[in-house]
Amino acid sequence: MIMNKYVNPDNLYIARSYLTTESNKTGSWRFLRPCYDEKTAPCSIACPAGEDIPRIEMMATQGLFKEAWEKILIENPFPSVCGRVCFHPCEGSCNRRDFDSAVAIHSLERFIADTAIRYGISPELEKKPSRKQRIAIVGAGTAGLAAAWFLSLLGYSCDVFEASSEVGGVLRWGIPLYRLPLSALRHDIKQITELGVAIFTGKKVSKEMLSELKKKYDAVFIGCGHSLGMPLSVPGENLSGVSEGLEFLRQIRDGKSPVCSGVTAIIGGGNTAVDVARSVVRLGGKALLLYRRRRQDMPALALEVEMALEEGVELEELVAPAVISEENGKILLTLQEMKVEGEECGRDRVIAATGKNRQVRVERILKAIGMQASESWQQADRTDNEILTLSHSVLDSRGREAVMVLGGDIVNKTKSVVDAVASGKQAALALDILFQEGIEAVVPKLQACLVGPGSSLSMEIFMGGERRLRNKHVVSYEEINTDYFRFSPRVTQPRLLKEERIQSFEEIDLKISAHMAMKEAERCFNCGLCNQCDNCFIFCPDTSVILGRDHQGRHINYDYCKGCGLCVVECPRNAMSLGEEKS
Amino acid sequence: MKRVLEGSHAVAEAVRLAKVQVISAYPITPQTHIVEILSQYCTNGTMKAKFLRVESEHSCMAALIGAQSVGVRTFTATSGQGLALMHELLHWAAGARLPIVMAEVNRALAPGWNIWVDQTDSLAQRDTGWIQMYCEDGQEVLDSTIQAFLLAETVNLPVMIVLDAFYLSHTYEPVDVPEPEEVDRFLPPFAPKFQLDTAQPCAFGSLVGPGDYMDMRYQIALAMDDALIRFGDVEDAFAALFNRRYGPVEAIDCADAEIIFITSGTVTSTCRLALQELRAQGEKAGILKIKLFRPFPVDRIRKELQAAKKIAVIDRNFSFGASGIFAQELRAALCNTPRHPVVFGYVAGIGGRDVTPELLKEIYWLTKNSEVPQKESIWMGIQEVKYAD
Repeated sequence: MIMNKYVNPDNLYIARSYLTTESNKTGSWRFLRPCYDEKTAPCSIACPAGEDIPRIEMMATQGLFKEAWEKILIENPFPSVCGRVCFHPCEGSCNRRDFDSAVAIHSLERFIADTAIRYGISPELEKKPSRKQRIAIVGAGTAGLAAAWFLSLLGYSCDVFEASSEVGGVLRWGIPLYRLPLSALRHDIKQITELGVAIFTGKKVSKEMLSELKKKYDAVFIGCGHSLGMPLSVPGENLSGVSEGLEFLRQIRDGKSPVCSGVTAIIGGGNTAVDVARSVVRLGGKALLLYRRRRQDMPALALEVEMALEEGVELEELVAPAVISEENGKILLTLQEMKVEGEECGRDRVIAATGKNRQVRVERILKAIGMQASESWQQADRTDNEILTLSHSVLDSRGREAVMVLGGDIVNKTKSVVDAVASGKQAALALDILFQEGIEAVVPKLQACLVGPGSSLSMEIFMGGERRLRNKHVVSYEEINTDYFRFSPRVTQPRLLKEERIQSFEEIDLKISAHMAMKEAERCFNCGLCNQCDNCFIFCPDTSVILGRDHQGRHINYDYCKGCGLCVVECPRNAMSLGEEKS
Repeated sequence: MKRVLEGSHAVAEAVRLAKVQVISAYPITPQTHIVEILSQYCTNGTMKAKFLRVESEHSCMAALIGAQSVGVRTFTATSGQGLALMHELLHWAAGARLPIVMAEVNRALAPGWNIWVDQTDSLAQRDTGWIQMYCEDGQEVLDSTIQAFLLAETVNLPVMIVLDAFYLSHTYEPVDVPEPEEVDRFLPPFAPKFQLDTAQPCAFGSLVGPGDYMDMRYQIALAMDDALIRFGDVEDAFAALFNRRYGPVEAIDCADAEIIFITSGTVTSTCRLALQELRAQGEKAGILKIKLFRPFPVDRIRKELQAAKKIAVIDRNFSFGASGIFAQELRAALCNTPRHPVVFGYVAGIGGRDVTPELLKEIYWLTKNSEVPQKESIWMGIQEVKYAD
């Protein structure tokens, strides 16, 4: 003990030590070891495109809109489209739902894409050196364009052949403008063409032409989608007043205004059926939506159905067409009433209510009950064991000619835009592995590029980005330290009034301000990611969290860390882990 | 310059004049007026001091321990529950020999919630090693607070200036506020005997084994003894400049008194009135006002009371299971003297009840008419309790 001998000659007998406590390496007491351990967010595995959503929202919070946009583009070349029309399964698995309500991920995706459009930004993405293989892509729909995008990033040169006069597939011809304006679609496609993808429109690929392509190219990706309507299988379905809903939408997107006077019956319950009904209303007609199940069973987005009803679409549930006939120039539709009885495939089964029929008189019928491939060669032969069948694509590398890959709606179980993106990505990665390492490497290599324990592929992981280091563990709500988050209402999407909506095909969802977007992005828990909040540094009782941003970056000084675990508990986002110390 | 000041503001003016450098406090009635005005002084530049806002009184004292260790003059004020929450760190401040000064406005402890005067809160801290001074009026509060810094810094022990809730803290009286230059002559800038210094890094308050700890505690005991002598020196220096002196105790008409009231705080003023009336009736009564409670001025007390037959100790506090705390202290101070008065204990004015001249005279007559005191203090004015059905 040292007597005080400082400033004043009066001595005070107090405890004072000039020894540094650094000599006491308290790290030797530790039996638990904290570490920085970034994990997987549930939204990112729910996204078929495997977008790094927690990172994207973190960047948006920081105002790094360009970087956020690029972060989306590395996994999905269609942010402008998906921000508008994706069924956003990400939001359904958002941990924030258990706190207040899910983050409006789709609104943010759209905002980020719109911001890139507004400022005319070009993405700066890593592109692999050129490869010698050339790839032909049949169909410039979402899957084909996505395949071209990812293949180009991987260094392959791609030629896309499109039958119609403009690219985009269903996005261009099948989705009404009030949901997806042309400028939004064209902006996403512009990024793809600027990567050097050559697109040939008005080039319909026949079976003969396909043989030519197989000779000229090293691989052919077939993503021509479904263009043939499904039959209703009822008498009278070939009458002139009965046509395909998708064809009706196509006419509108082609600049025509099909006649819609009187009542139009629309058969189906999916998004196409709702799109057709709402388009009929916009063209001045009356829309009668007929669905064989109930409203809650409709595959269409609930919000779309709600808005359709607001706009004046009439919905009849539990009715199926039985007979179609002509009567005085009008269509007489006999409807079979249905009832719910029992279950099948995990949902309520509907069966015909015997003897209960009624008739409606309509001007025309538009079918929207699903589509199928128009040519048999566009379908995958799933019985052939020699063919490599993956979740979103089918690869045939037999023979000396080009590798054949099928993707998009013709193979996807879920026929959505984002599944088509997933298909294009899977095909691109699979081809790259096949060309570089052989067919045997495809499955294991793809397996290594999955996001967490899910089935979505990540291009960033494939390219060796930082995301590959992330722990596959999916962060649960219980693992978030909600003490560090405030209740905050989800952003309210501004929309046109319903009176304005039915007057035109103007986009319904209006833009949100940067302020609103950043506020919404801030709601994101950023599950499993470190946003440098410094809680670990603030709470460490041993000053063992070293910020040292200049050289080593944030790290733990294990010479002194006692393994108390405070840092892990106080990490709001579960970006740290506590494990047993291995002796 | 004479000003009409609230008791709380008398404290604040003294703190301003003492040129305190760091103030930290957490608001609590009835103390809040003190730090309220000080925070204004810090904001508007009247004082060149840092006001640290904290989330509790515990943190407040911790902050001041840190600040005082750096070598600056510090101050805080609290009351009742706030003081109780500081308890652990009161020991630390004294053990670390840090001359922190605190104004403590006596407030009853909950439950039930009571914001009025009661000395139990500060007396419960009597063993923490803090010097304690109980003040009677606004002038004494101002003078004692200025003196407290000099005394604390001389003996390296913290000082608690204690004042009654509302009867003193919220009462306006004329107070002579000295000029800054005059105070500067009395109170030099703080010269720490030790301090944290980045040029010579060290740790204070580290582990001390049995071999050293007891001796360190003995040094505190010696410092407390020294404080009794230094208190006189400080008062001398103050009187030389300002011509005011209070003493560790004040004896009023004690020379020929047979029965002497023992008082503290504002009860003393009321007792002065009762004394006048008793003396007018020919009663040989006196008052011994106790200002300095720690260190307890035992010798002075023995001397002032040696001729009396009985003393009546007024306690605005109570130690459950024992008796009024001043009564305990008086008995302890007197018992080893060969000839001493009999000690009668009375509990009065708990939780802000009024202590009137009539009540004090009643105590006088009770004392005069009793041969021997009861074992414990007598609770004055206890009502019959009516329980709800």
